[in-house]
Amino acid sequence: MTKGIFDGLKVCDFMWAAAGPITTKQLSDNGATVVKVESSKHPDSIRLGGPFIDNKPGINRSGFFADFHSSKLGMAVDMSHADRLEIIRPLVEWADVVTDSFRPGTMEKWGLGYEDLKQINPRIIVLSSSLHGSTGPWAKHPGYGAQGAALAGIQHMTGWPDRPPATPKGAYSDSVSPRYALSALMAALIHREKTGEGQFVELAQIEATVQLVAPQLLDLQVTGREAQRNGNRKDGAIQHGVYPCAGEERWIVIECETESHWCTLCDLLEDAAGLDAARAAGQDALDAAIAKLTAPQDAFELWDRLRGAGIPAAVAYKGSDLLDDPILEARGHFWPLHHEEMGTLKYNGPAYRFEKTPTVLRTASPRLGEHTEHVMTEILGFSTAEVDRFRTRGLLG
Amino acid sequence: MSEGKTALAGVRVIEISSLSGAVCGRALADLGAQVIKLEPEGGEPARRDFPLIPVEGGEESAAWIVYNLGKASVTVDLSSDDGRAAFEALAKTADIVVTDFQRMDIDEMDRLAAIARAVNPALVWCEILPFGRGHAYDRVPATDTTLQALGGHLYQNGDVDRPPVRIGVPVGLIQAGAEASNAALMAYYHALRTGEGQRVDVSVQECVTWTLLNTTMAWQILQLNELRGGAIRKERANQFFTRLVWPCRDGYVVFGPVGGGGGSARVKSYDALLKWMAEDGITADILTSRDWNGDGQFFISQDDYDTVTEVIRKFIETKTLEELTTRAVAERILMAPINGLGDILVNPQHDARDYFQVLHDPARGLDVKLPTNWVRMSETPIHAPRPAPAPGAQTAKYWQDIRKTETAT
Repeated sequence: MTKGIFDGLKVCDFMWAAAGPITTKQLSDNGATVVKVESSKHPDSIRLGGPFIDNKPGINRSGFFADFHSSKLGMAVDMSHADRLEIIRPLVEWADVVTDSFRPGTMEKWGLGYEDLKQINPRIIVLSSSLHGSTGPWAKHPGYGAQGAALAGIQHMTGWPDRPPATPKGAYSDSVSPRYALSALMAALIHREKTGEGQFVELAQIEATVQLVAPQLLDLQVTGREAQRNGNRKDGAIQHGVYPCAGEERWIVIECETESHWCTLCDLLEDAAGLDAARAAGQDALDAAIAKLTAPQDAFELWDRLRGAGIPAAVAYKGSDLLDDPILEARGHFWPLHHEEMGTLKYNGPAYRFEKTPTVLRTASPRLGEHTEHVMTEILGFSTAEVDRFRTRGLLG
Repeated sequence: MSEGKTALAGVRVIEISSLSGAVCGRALADLGAQVIKLEPEGGEPARRDFPLIPVEGGEESAAWIVYNLGKASVTVDLSSDDGRAAFEALAKTADIVVTDFQRMDIDEMDRLAAIARAVNPALVWCEILPFGRGHAYDRVPATDTTLQALGGHLYQNGDVDRPPVRIGVPVGLIQAGAEASNAALMAYYHALRTGEGQRVDVSVQECVTWTLLNTTMAWQILQLNELRGGAIRKERANQFFTRLVWPCRDGYVVFGPVGGGGGSARVKSYDALLKWMAEDGITADILTSRDWNGDGQFFISQDDYDTVTEVIRKFIETKTLEELTTRAVAERILMAPINGLGDILVNPQHDARDYFQVLHDPARGLDVKLPTNWVRMSETPIHAPRPAPAPGAQTAKYWQDIRKTETAT
């Protein structure tokens, strides 16, 4: 079997919530051995976030947690125990990469700041990702991706001009920042491969997310225009909107940026005269006229016809549509993985495909501490008797 | 910011792009790669994308400028025999080629990939496509908005009494570009260790699906299709609507005081809020009538949620953004202002971290600050902003390189 790109790469993973684990999932799904460290006293907080299997909260029952932890090993170590380094030190010696996404200062408090880690393992690469970054007056201000999206201007750019900002779904900075964090981590790995030198990589999730509005920040400084949310309108388009279709909450995106697309759309909706008149009357009238014509139609059939005519269009997929989508199916996007408490669920695979070193989601997410014994004996070389003594002293679990 | 060694020093990237490929190339250039754009005579079409800003001698796309900092530009007609020969010579010297579907179609990608990979087996060919490659849908036309829709994100945004609404910047394409930068580097890491090059393709649709976080699990586990809710929505697979956007005296903040996960940080945040409200004399029983962030936090009734948050809403309405932000930072309340773009430019946290760097671009007459310091690397800092190239600015220089390569071989 073809080995993954990171076969042999060893990662000691203190990342939690979403932005961090999404980053290290790219390593584990591509073959790295990723040991996630948490504890029953302080489990990863998204183990406490839904959806829970059977709608019953439980430490090993969250689908939210599961999706970001395929192919990882789970280890439970009480990091508040005074003797934690008896276990963590050999783990750092073993690792190529240490990652964390705690509130800045946490790793230092445990004796695991970059300088400490470098003492233990001079070649170590450390990736630390936090919402605001590890320096500056807001460094320790807690927050999740919703706050990140608000601070980064994403909410400002989402919604209707006459309404409050519409919160985009998801903890948006948690999905932007892993892409940039991983690029920087890859650059550090490449540098180490060439020179042998490790380093500290520090990323603020908000700073990564602001990359999405960098053009608008330039525009504002040069012209004084502050870009605003504007519903579904788009500069330069003849027409660009989201329209109702038959059924409950069925919507279709249609956009025309050329006269040729416009003519085709008018023919396809079978009201060229009405649509031309509405276009002349302005965007509001045009959107209303199109909506009237799409409202009785089946969204998927209309999408087929528009697609066939070469007009950019799409059904606004619901969550259930994604799991039924023939495109994602053909792409092999979802990976059914079996978990002892949660049964078989379809996990999201990556957005990229390697031609020669395919990504493989090997296992479902670990139960809390599922691989403690394995990591202690097989990876760190402790004897079973030693592991028992660590347990008795309260270090494991 | 780098004056000396960079992580990707010595890595050569050829970029044939529109927006998403440029975002990829920009990340690689920041990290130290030498990125050479191949453009048609007069420059690539993306130089004229919205928003346009006035520059010395005319107008140019703000998006094009920011996503093409620090690159070189070579003009070449890739449809001509001479152009393809030049491309072949350059591809021999490259480590990565990146391209995207807005710049060329999949057939043209295949033609160029065949040329490049034949002469350079270690080459990484990275392409950004709407739905990825290798299936019956890889030629379906697409735009950022149709991909926001087909990734499942558009459906979830906006007010429930109006149609779903997109994020008003091309987030799918930009995120796909960022994703391509790390995927290309993963493949390059493999090539570096083994000598084996390969193609890597990135799907914009899948990038958008990754922004949902828990939507596909919510459907599988609860048969729940999450629905848009504007300022108020069912978040984190909750069974009740929670308010995320809260009006204050002079703007809006985002805040999740109770309900729906968040762990110990949310418990502490709520305690800090109650302390502040008590200082203002607000001590309604409902605020402490149950452990709002403890057991049962996912099963709060809508009535109870609405009652407690009405008290909180009235309190927040009496405060300014400045008051709320200052207190939130000092007391670790899980709250943040909803920044306009101007607010981002003056944010004290960004100032303290030197996040914005000055771009001095005399050819365009620009002296502006840009959000370029996006990662801190202790041994190989990223580049400070360097101007984006004029069309063909480095054509002569690289043609000399190519001729040298040809002579040597």
